[in-house]
Amino acid sequence: MILANVFCILLFLDKILHSPASGQDPHGWRTPVDCVRANELCAAESSCSSRYRTLRQCLAGRDRNTMLANKECQAALEVLQESSLYDCHCKRGMKKELQCLQIYWSIHLGLTEGEEFYEASPYEPVTSRLSDIFRLASIFSGMDPATNSKSNHCLDAAKACNLNDNCKRLRSAYISTCSKEISATEHCNRRKCHKALRQFFDRVPSEYTYRLLFCSCKDPACAERRRQTIVPSCSYEDKEKPNCLDLRNMCRTDHLCRSRLADFHTNCQVSFQSLTSCPGDNYQACLGAYAGMIGFDMTPNYIDSSIASITVSPWCSCRGSGNMEEECEKFLRDFTENPCLRNAIQAFGNGTDVNLSPKNPSLPVTLPPETEKSPALPDDINDSNTIYDTSVITTCTSVQEHGPKLNKSKEHSLCFSETLLTTDIMPDQKTFVDQKASGSRHSARGILSGLPFLLVKLAL
Amino acid sequence: NRMKRARARHKPCALKELEVSVSELGLGYESDEIVLFRYCTGTCETAIRNYDLSLKNMRLKKKIKKEKVRARPCCRPLAYDDDVSFLDTYNRYYTVNELSAKECGCV
Repeated sequence: MILANVFCILLFLDKILHSPASGQDPHGWRTPVDCVRANELCAAESSCSSRYRTLRQCLAGRDRNTMLANKECQAALEVLQESSLYDCHCKRGMKKELQCLQIYWSIHLGLTEGEEFYEASPYEPVTSRLSDIFRLASIFSGMDPATNSKSNHCLDAAKACNLNDNCKRLRSAYISTCSKEISATEHCNRRKCHKALRQFFDRVPSEYTYRLLFCSCKDPACAERRRQTIVPSCSYEDKEKPNCLDLRNMCRTDHLCRSRLADFHTNCQVSFQSLTSCPGDNYQACLGAYAGMIGFDMTPNYIDSSIASITVSPWCSCRGSGNMEEECEKFLRDFTENPCLRNAIQAFGNGTDVNLSPKNPSLPVTLPPETEKSPALPDDINDSNTIYDTSVITTCTSVQEHGPKLNKSKEHSLCFSETLLTTDIMPDQKTFVDQKASGSRHSARGILSGLPFLLVKLAL
Repeated sequence: NRMKRARARHKPCALKELEVSVSELGLGYESDEIVLFRYCTGTCETAIRNYDLSLKNMRLKKKIKKEKVRARPCCRPLAYDDDVSFLDTYNRYYTVNELSAKECGCV
């Protein structure tokens, strides 16, 4: 009880420190809303909606400085900083994720000063822990990654996925898409392959996907299987290796890629305040952010099948950086020589997690479980549009599509059991912290969010 | 024991599953990956139609002599499972379709 109080006070302090403009929030607490909802709230208010419209016009095709030179634009920005649009976030794999991110960046692009090296994540902070995954994994498969040391963990992970209908279906979907040869000149359809990979990592619970992606290996055959997980010949490798900063710029022109990269930078950035080198000692958040980049321009992968050192990198190099060499190397090192990411991958492989004494101390608000299902798109084949489509044909609909031969009651039971499954094994999407994270004070937030954990530890 | 076996033989047509390695499927792929193989098993006595009875009688009366006919329903898949993909021992990916049953029936 005392601990809980201490924590509440800390959280409150955390909030005050985070408030970018004092007095904007008289109660200190504001229920976090996602940006789609915040946009709806704003639309209902005539003053907010007109300012928002002004700001969007201001930002269209102009850089920050010319925009701020305009009085009207400046005023619009100031007013919007006090609306719920300012501190709204998005959820990974949520319904209308792209729309949410578009709203987020429409405000935040006007707030950040030019091209920042690190950008704050538009996603809600991850509160679940690796240990939650281990617990679930052992319940679901009866196979503990730490027990049998002789076996090939990556093979075990493939087995666990094959025995789960949802995982098997989406894994087969991306493998067949990514390994389908189109013609003698075109090796595969990269765009479709990336899309299928995104569906796999967004829709399959992480105890399956992480096991495939971060399995620990003792021999090269296993490590090669691990490297092959994302079908790198199609999704990763390319004829040429672009410059990493060019690749980053390309990624930043796309709202989803930009957000996933910002999320990686937020959750895997090396922190000197923590034992694990990870922000808030949260391995789960870093691994999730890493997996979130798979299927975009910045897709990372293991660079070889060595077992001694785990090195991951996007498909880029620092050749041709000119006078930006240093910045390029810094960017690349966040992948190749990142102790937080490396520790997180190793901890997952070993089945260990940071032992936080009050387990999940940061859970003051727990939302009632609510399944977020995107509407199934029957015209999945027709993906000629460039807009990302994170929806997927669910088991229910694929059964319905096979239609007339099946009886109705069976369909329903199938749909129902799948919904139950997703509710049960994805706690990370249902709960979140009432923690206001200011958009532009990103670096300060990284340090501060670790503070409560450290202090609670000290208090013990 | 014999009773048990007899009862097992009279189980109605239904889906059963087996965990097997891809190599064990005997399709020529070499892979240690384990897949779920669902198959149809059971009897179809309750599903005997007038067609089956008539056909049997036609054969008994030698009205049908040379042709091959099947005068009893058969427990077979009505639908097959989605594609199964796996990585083989040479690090190549393969996808096989209609490997596993999804629903069984007496046809």
